[in-house]
Amino acid sequence: MYNDQELFSTLHMLRNENLDVRTVTLGVNLIDCVSHDLEVFKSNIRKKITGLAKNLVETCNQVGEKYGVQVVNKRISVSPIAVAAAPFSPGQMVEVAKTLDSIAQDVNVDFIGGFSALVEKGIANGDDSLIRAIPQALAETQRMCSSVNVASTRAGINMDAVLRMAKAIKEAAALTADSDGLACAKLCVFCNIPQDVPFMAGAYLGIGEADAVVSVGVSGPGVVKAAIDRAVQAEPDMGLGRIAEVIKLTACKVTRVGELIGREVAKTLGLPFGVVDLSLAPTPTVGDSVGEIFESLGLLKMGLPGSTAALAMLNDAVKKGGAFASSHVGGLSGAFIPVSEDLNIAQAAAEGHLNIEKLEAMTSVCSVGLDMVAIPGDVSVETLAGIIADEMAIGMINSKTTATRLIPVPGKKAGDLAEFGGLLGHAEIIEVKQAAADNLFVRRAGRIPAPIHSLKN
Amino acid sequence: MEKIIITVLGQDRPGIIAAVSQSLFEQDCNIENISQMVLQSEFAGLFVITAPEGATIEGVRESLNKALAAMNLEVQAKVLTKPQAPAAAPVVEPFLITTMGPDAKGLVARITAVLAKHGANVTNFKAVFHGGQNPDRNIMVYEVDVPADGNREALYAGLRSKAKELGLEIIIQHRDIFDAVNKI
Repeated sequence: MYNDQELFSTLHMLRNENLDVRTVTLGVNLIDCVSHDLEVFKSNIRKKITGLAKNLVETCNQVGEKYGVQVVNKRISVSPIAVAAAPFSPGQMVEVAKTLDSIAQDVNVDFIGGFSALVEKGIANGDDSLIRAIPQALAETQRMCSSVNVASTRAGINMDAVLRMAKAIKEAAALTADSDGLACAKLCVFCNIPQDVPFMAGAYLGIGEADAVVSVGVSGPGVVKAAIDRAVQAEPDMGLGRIAEVIKLTACKVTRVGELIGREVAKTLGLPFGVVDLSLAPTPTVGDSVGEIFESLGLLKMGLPGSTAALAMLNDAVKKGGAFASSHVGGLSGAFIPVSEDLNIAQAAAEGHLNIEKLEAMTSVCSVGLDMVAIPGDVSVETLAGIIADEMAIGMINSKTTATRLIPVPGKKAGDLAEFGGLLGHAEIIEVKQAAADNLFVRRAGRIPAPIHSLKN
Repeated sequence: MEKIIITVLGQDRPGIIAAVSQSLFEQDCNIENISQMVLQSEFAGLFVITAPEGATIEGVRESLNKALAAMNLEVQAKVLTKPQAPAAAPVVEPFLITTMGPDAKGLVARITAVLAKHGANVTNFKAVFHGGQNPDRNIMVYEVDVPADGNREALYAGLRSKAKELGLEIIIQHRDIFDAVNKI
């Protein structure tokens, strides 16, 4: 029998502190579906994905019920479509996107990711078609997500791709102007994209992965906050080293729950288990916020001086706990700071404690980037490209993943409210410094060379 | 000689195990297993022993009674019957069932009746009833083995419907999740 503390702390984590499995993501390789004929390709991917995923949702629900842990989202990631559908034109790429969306609806998953291209070193024909197709593809689908990797530590930053993505974001926003540019909430621009992320919008299945694989994303900012609160209440003078230890142990427990669920789903479906990605991923629910953790650590508001140091400690402790819990930790594994998806962060931004520059600084020590940041709709392509390039530079130089998910909200300005609905939340639009004249830097073609520490061989 | 199981009951105080084991030692008995617990203020101890050739159950019990008289402890002793070996051990899955809700008479009887009906064996059980309506002060935790080939959905449905009838919140979880979180 477990002792009372073990029993009730486990029950509390699940009942009161919003510990859940945020996503079980089935990765499906589509390279063996290739064809020069669009109809054949569409038929092949439908057959393969539905064959593998037909029992995904039901299995996740059954396993969730067995352990009393909710699997909130069930998702699919596929091989980069720019590779699998390389022969097709932008118009045909849109057709592929619609097919993926329809498959996602048929098997009842929340999202399907992988409308993606890897262009950090150059843009191939398939990549070119896909990038051209992104705005329309996102505007005309509901459940499909897109990501483009424009930089890496080994290749540098492809500034042509950065500029093209800035244009794609503006176009996608314009096409979904009636829903505050919602299409952009399903589009990430990456540096050093991991090939096994189970979280959206960045999930895709890398070329080096198995034919089909089950990965799991666990969250639990509420659990971490509750653990810190309990520890500090018991010992008000607790030092940061000890608090980091509390976070690490909690992260370890949360990761083990995720791995248990992921492995069982994989076993039931007869597929290999991939990775567990423990990322503190907030939702717009009270008690499920990364921002609240900052307040538990003693900061008055996220964004005030000290926030970057606090986030560095949090992100590192989460990684250490996860690495101890599982030998197969992957994806992003750290802390997310998506502005609109976190009540507390959105509030800090609305109150002016958190501006885009501070957010950028914080992304240098956490696991993602400028995530779900609503910016004025009249932001220029050059300014947008500059923000993306800056974020990519942080990832490239620090050998880590960074990304942007920026939403230039059409017709709205700084201080207005953008509403995305559901898990995507709402946020006040953040001010962006627009250059008075053209930003020539981002219009110079070419690639920023890889940094010196990429030369490791 | 056959194995003997001895139960000792009485108000908890320091020295009970020492007195029991000293008496058994003096009778040349060998202790194989001991399990003890304290429920509220009451001590309960189970001792499985083997006695030397020629010893009788009555003799062992009498000597213990004499040794423990001053501590006002009640002693029972009986021959340990060997369980009949089943043809094959049943395949079971361990679950933890937790209920929380207002105190009332008959909670244990009604929940365990559902478990018994579906062949689920209670392997460990802990209950704390402080009375009143506060669910956090009236908790039952059952560790049960559920037959792997049984109808688990029917068991779940039966437990949930009974809990609802009794005004209890019920959480049913495979034990592995507690192992995953607590055993590293």
